[in-house]
Amino acid sequence: MTPPTATCPNCGAKIVFKWSSSVQTVCDYCKSVLVRTDIDLQVLGKAADLPADISPIQINAEGVYRNKSFVVIGRILYEYDQGGWNEWHLMMNDGGSGWLSDAQEEYGVSFSAKPSAGQALPRESQLEVGRELTWDGTTYTLSVITQAYFRGVEGELPFKFWDKSDMVFADLRSSSRKFATLDYSDAEPALYLGEFVEFEDLKLKNLREFEGWS
Amino acid sequence: MNPEPPPVGGPQPRVSGLNCPNCGGSITLRALGQASSVVCEGCGSILDAQDPKLQIIQTFHRIVSSDPPLIPLGTRGKIRGTDYEVIGFERRTITVDLVEYHWHEYILFNPYKGFRYLTEYQGHWNDISICKELPSMSSSFNISPRVNYLGESYQHFQSADANTDFVLGEFPWQVRVGERASVTDYVHPPRVLSGEKMAGEVTWSIGEYVPGRDVWKAFNLSGSPPPAIGVYENEPSPFSANLKAVWIGFAALAFGLLVMMIGFDLFTMNSSVFQGAYRFTSGYPRAEASFVTNTFELGGRPSNVEVTTSTDLQNNWIYLNYALINQDTGQAWDFGREVSFYSGYDSDGSWTEGSRNAAIVVPSVPPGQYYLRIEPEADTVQPPVTYTVEVRRDVPVSSFYGIGFLALLIPAILITWRSASFEKSRWSESDHPHSPIIAEGN
Amino acid sequence: MFRQIYMLYGLLILATVGYAQYNGWSLDTMNQLKNVPKSVRDNPGSYRSVYSGYHHYTGGK
Repeated sequence: MTPPTATCPNCGAKIVFKWSSSVQTVCDYCKSVLVRTDIDLQVLGKAADLPADISPIQINAEGVYRNKSFVVIGRILYEYDQGGWNEWHLMMNDGGSGWLSDAQEEYGVSFSAKPSAGQALPRESQLEVGRELTWDGTTYTLSVITQAYFRGVEGELPFKFWDKSDMVFADLRSSSRKFATLDYSDAEPALYLGEFVEFEDLKLKNLREFEGWS
Repeated sequence: MNPEPPPVGGPQPRVSGLNCPNCGGSITLRALGQASSVVCEGCGSILDAQDPKLQIIQTFHRIVSSDPPLIPLGTRGKIRGTDYEVIGFERRTITVDLVEYHWHEYILFNPYKGFRYLTEYQGHWNDISICKELPSMSSSFNISPRVNYLGESYQHFQSADANTDFVLGEFPWQVRVGERASVTDYVHPPRVLSGEKMAGEVTWSIGEYVPGRDVWKAFNLSGSPPPAIGVYENEPSPFSANLKAVWIGFAALAFGLLVMMIGFDLFTMNSSVFQGAYRFTSGYPRAEASFVTNTFELGGRPSNVEVTTSTDLQNNWIYLNYALINQDTGQAWDFGREVSFYSGYDSDGSWTEGSRNAAIVVPSVPPGQYYLRIEPEADTVQPPVTYTVEVRRDVPVSSFYGIGFLALLIPAILITWRSASFEKSRWSESDHPHSPIIAEGN
Repeated sequence: MFRQIYMLYGLLILATVGYAQYNGWSLDTMNQLKNVPKSVRDNPGSYRSVYSGYHHYTGGK
């Protein structure tokens, strides 16, 4: 993450701490030693710091997925007991809606999907890790069930959102880059099918700038 | 209720300067935290050790230096063409057969490319990232002997429970000391496929072995990397690529040797230039013992000469002293051989000792007219010995090819043995120390 | 890299074997002598032709 910054209390110059819990630094200008007084030293060495918001994507960023260009128009920030992730709402150039999930900068693009007629989606109570499900000819294995709550929203979203609290998500992986998500935030489970992509493949423009990084 | 937009950036740090209580000047310190007392360079007064700010610095140092990261947090380096910053560090421990092993993990971050991980164990480094594809497994975490991933087959190396016992900095997910995860490693040197199961979630990551000096170069670190001890699970074998090449080379060279042997068998003259039959009766006056043969011609290029003695010995011996003499130049080769042959019966059956015949090869004899001087010796009381002497010109010497073959074989065997030792060393650390030794190629 | 060294070494072995066979080397031990006398008469301390020129008394007691 961008290292914590502050201003030197002696000379007012900008100072940078090398890492998130580093308690000391030296001011480049007045050379005085500066100490952070807000670090909990009881926790140091025993627990990690959670990153501040680090996603390079922002509203109005543009990119390309499989030859279709898109614009980022909305965002949902989820949080769970181990951390958090972003779901960026994409407006595709054909007018459709897509989702770019950004979990610790592992990116995946998915779209709302309907299972073929006659195939019901499992109920929340039927979920178990290791279960295999098939859609569109690809077999997916259920890898993790997450209980999450929303942390924040931004921009345009395709449905009403803010009266939800805890939701269950099931993530399914395959032997290729395809993945599936079952969303149990509504009464009826919703299916999303997509694939993991590399940052470069999205050819993103208009990204958030980070100081010190090109 | 309107949701709030997500926060951008972390909380602002609260900072104080470390000032000298006497002169009020700001302290410029070197060797922070290692000094037990701190002196103001401006006025010389000693800082109160109880100063809370000083305590913060010293406590911090005490904690961090208990296991200082080899790559300091905040350092930037270039991996696979991208700049990354080290933002987090942890030490994890597994216990195998009551022995504790720890390794260190470094979290690397780039705001656009995301996270990478560097692990270090006894000087062995690995560059690791999270898998996007699932390796081939029928269910999520049963341990199988082999796993396929991206077209490569990985062998099970080790399964153990890992305990986190020291954490610094930032991690993309919450990490706390005392957390346990089940870890399974599959190897296909130089890569390793690692599966981690914690709190019901399974994460797969793929790593590639990196030599310590490449890490030092990437992060521009001073000094040298810690020496690599032993052979690591996915350390690439320095032998594997060469092994196959050497045996193919051996096959080609051995074939060449065979061709040469056949070729010389056809090419050498191997002509019989003299044969004589003699009878030696011991007890005769000594003066008669030595005699010379008629001359014979040794033709062709300077080549070898084989002198074969064939006897009718039965429980007897004869010593023959030969000299091959060039009639014109007086050059001579002097040699002697004992020929002995014994046989009999005992409780195990019949036995024999020695041979009735002997052959000697005289080296590099120039062409010309030659004769043999022969001087036999034997026991005075033994019966007479009849023997024939044959001289052949330019014979193939089969022992050359035998020696040549061994000379070709020995390096191939050596490299095979070294490769096998290396692999044995590798697998000795695994759950399968007596696994069949397979040298994995790249 | 090791492969190249081995091939070079191997070719050297083959060349040595070929050279040995062609030039008639041998693994047996023996002594080489020069100027073996052809006959008993042919030795440095033997009869010399100058002796033939002195048949009469030239003086002295």
